[in-house]
Amino acid sequence: MAPTPPTDAELNTLIRARLAALGIDLDQLPPGTAPDPQTGSPGRDAVLASLRSFVRGTVATLAAYQLPTPGVTDPDVARALSQQRVPVLYPSISAQGRTS
Amino acid sequence: MTPGQPLDRSLDRRAFLARAAALATATAAGAAVALPPVATAAGPTTGGRRKNPLDHPDAYVRPRPEALADPTELTIAEAGWLIRAGRLTPEQLVEAYLDRIGAYDGVYQAFNLVLTDAARAAARDAARRPRRGVLHGIPLAIKDNYYTEGVRTTANSFLFADFVPPYDATAVARLKAGGAIVLGKTQMGPLATTRATTPAGVVTTVNAWAPTNPNTDPGGSSTGTATAVAGRMATSGIGTQTGGSITAPSNAQNLTGLKPTMGRVSAAGVIPLTYTRDHPGPLARDAKDAAIMLTAMAGGDPADPRSEGLPDVPDLIEAATPVRRGGRVRLRWNTRVGVPPTFASGTSATALARQAYLAQLAEIPGVTLVDVPLPEGWSQLTGGTFNNVRLPERSEPFMPYLRTDLRAFGVSVTSWLQGALMGGNEFITGQRAKLLLLERVLDELFDACDVVVQTDPVPFDILGLPEIAFPIGATAAGLPIGTILGGLPYAEDRLLSVVAAYQAVTDWHLRRPADPPAALAGARRAPSEAAPRLTAEQVAELTQ
Repeated sequence: MAPTPPTDAELNTLIRARLAALGIDLDQLPPGTAPDPQTGSPGRDAVLASLRSFVRGTVATLAAYQLPTPGVTDPDVARALSQQRVPVLYPSISAQGRTS
Repeated sequence: MTPGQPLDRSLDRRAFLARAAALATATAAGAAVALPPVATAAGPTTGGRRKNPLDHPDAYVRPRPEALADPTELTIAEAGWLIRAGRLTPEQLVEAYLDRIGAYDGVYQAFNLVLTDAARAAARDAARRPRRGVLHGIPLAIKDNYYTEGVRTTANSFLFADFVPPYDATAVARLKAGGAIVLGKTQMGPLATTRATTPAGVVTTVNAWAPTNPNTDPGGSSTGTATAVAGRMATSGIGTQTGGSITAPSNAQNLTGLKPTMGRVSAAGVIPLTYTRDHPGPLARDAKDAAIMLTAMAGGDPADPRSEGLPDVPDLIEAATPVRRGGRVRLRWNTRVGVPPTFASGTSATALARQAYLAQLAEIPGVTLVDVPLPEGWSQLTGGTFNNVRLPERSEPFMPYLRTDLRAFGVSVTSWLQGALMGGNEFITGQRAKLLLLERVLDELFDACDVVVQTDPVPFDILGLPEIAFPIGATAAGLPIGTILGGLPYAEDRLLSVVAAYQAVTDWHLRRPADPPAALAGARRAPSEAAPRLTAEQVAELTQ
């Protein structure tokens, strides 16, 4: 069974805790939603709202993505085969060059 | 490499795979190692590089009459021709640009820093030295994220406001070794994220084609370089591209910008935004100048292992030289130009320009237009979510700054925090998806064509594939309309050859913007004076 999606408050705790674990204190930013007039950096509540959206969108979507395995109908086989595609940092450099 | 053939279709598949494995090992070990040269289908590479490729006879072009009347109008190839002929000195050229900068950069705000004294000294020095090739004595605009020895390099950020690098970026060093003169450092999107603003988001640099309207997009993030070249305050310049930062300002300001294949130009000495996607490259006035600039910049560099062991740099200057048979321009190499659905659909000014462009292109002997489909899953694999896979690469090298001074990231901080939130699992999934995207691009796009027209630079930025941006028209208001062609790995020669042929039969690239109104000339516009401002939320959406 899929877990219950986190609430805003739970995500705020997650985000602050994750950043704090890396040594980043979100309270360096101004309180509330108004940006710092001098530097333009956003208020911490505005950033938290953006980061919640990022976790719910980008992070969740990438985490749920399973690479396709064309031509395979059995989902268990498809899941196993999807592990075979290697990660590449530099696609063009590792491109399979084509002979003319 | 097969002599006389472009590089993209003459690379050996097995050599690439072997190299990919070697590079992965080297990267995992964190070592800067030299890799064996890539063998080609035709046998070992002979290089094809001249002893001094920048003194190539095709690099010099007799100036147009209008360029003879105004040195700031000269292309590199034309200025090089005059300097070689002893009819122009580097000092005269530098002074002409300094005059224009003095008159108009208060309006354009293209430069962060103008190196007046150093440029004059370099010009004097160039006049005394033996000529080194076509770049000898040519003044250039350098984006402010390239290290310049002893010269402040800010990436337009509070973080680097006082940073003075102890050495030049490799690309800058190579341009200088070729004889070029650094005229100044140019404004850019803060940390290379958006169009140029102050680090706090207030718009600075304007589009040279609409200098009184800061709302007209000048393209970013290599904004200042584009405005400097378009506004005739430098002969040419360099930028970096992570998500369209060379092609967008080139298209917005009627320039020919070349984003090379990843690794073709060393990124050593460039303040990183996303290291797997940061591509250094030129913003130039035409294909020939782009070829000259890339010839100087390209090649292996031990300081950037991604640049080593790649196919030799081909003769780009020859590739960018139009071929004429029977008095008619034809393509140097027969080329199938892929056109995805809807590229030229509709009746907008852009659509009409694209239709005219394709029609003009089709008339050039050697061009075959081919309808190609967008690969399966294109929108998903190139859209916002998968594009965001790049974000940990910007947070990771900036951790010391994120820990100590979030406000110093200014209006750009959000995407750095997003990067720090992404887990390793998601990052790896994104890297797997890159290979899937690459396979589909190779199998579904490039199986049917050699180059492909682009509506968005990001997909090929994700893949590290080369792209060239160039002008193809104008709006009713006179603003430039540009387009982008993308190619296979190391297809810079083919891309240049297609654009050179197109530019030989059209004159869009010769259009220049009018000078700013005389009433504004000489005045320095305050950054906040009626200028629009980007918010942190907008920057998070727009960031490259």
